[in-house]
Amino acid sequence: MLFTARSIWTMVHGMVLGGGALLALAAVLYALWLLRPSSEAEIPERYAGSVATLTVLIAAALWITVLAGTYIVFPPYRAPPPEGLVDLAYYPRSLLLGNPETAWLHAFAMETKEHVPFIAAMLSTAAAFVSVRYRSGLLGHPQIRGAVMTLTAISFALVAYVAVLGVFVNKVAPLE
Amino acid sequence: MSAAGGATPTNGAAMAATLAAGLGALAIGLFVILNEAGIYGAPSLYGPAGGVSGRTTFAVAVWLIAWGALHWRWKERDVDAGRVVTACLVLVGVGLLLTFPPMWDVF
Repeated sequence: MLFTARSIWTMVHGMVLGGGALLALAAVLYALWLLRPSSEAEIPERYAGSVATLTVLIAAALWITVLAGTYIVFPPYRAPPPEGLVDLAYYPRSLLLGNPETAWLHAFAMETKEHVPFIAAMLSTAAAFVSVRYRSGLLGHPQIRGAVMTLTAISFALVAYVAVLGVFVNKVAPLE
Repeated sequence: MSAAGGATPTNGAAMAATLAAGLGALAIGLFVILNEAGIYGAPSLYGPAGGVSGRTTFAVAVWLIAWGALHWRWKERDVDAGRVVTACLVLVGVGLLLTFPPMWDVF
């Protein structure tokens, strides 16, 4: 078999859901900037609906990403190898910690990835809630639009940060 | 109808969600640092995932409770958006700092 179930879950977690959320976060940020209100042109309400829909999809994708990461991908990553096993290829945490040059990928990168994505998911959920609740007022209310942009921008930065860390970990100790 | 038109809604519900997200971020940071300092380790709720399952579940619970309470108080009101967003930024910053592994050596 070309890909194991663990490997497929890792790809779904990082590339499909996490990567998709990152692209959608960028799209929402751009849309909110592009659709800033002006006195000369009115913004069609359907645009606010589209932004709201996208924020809901982002929040859903991020929650599935963090839950799949924590409860499906992380357990095999941290599983201890049988005593005396020399080839640690199937035990990424032990593989990383076994080499001083790669230990930081667990001690820093994976430890960060365990917690920070939950913050991004909370921020995106708040942005989605506000976007849906204020649907018609989202784009025309500077305070509310500003709050959604702030939440989305931080979430984007955090998701991008942990995505890079995930790439580093997976390049050195992929979950096969 | 324009999205920019219509009556201006109160901003309380939006600000409650914003501040609660900041509190959730702080909660994550606090559960992490308390665990790293050996003061309080949230129990593992799913053995194969270890302590992270407890830390994150408890932090999510704090976030949802804070959100519910703030929403209940603010949903019909206008609150100072600038202060709330600033508070959210500070809370997220502190939460992130506490989850930053090099910080754990300080405690």
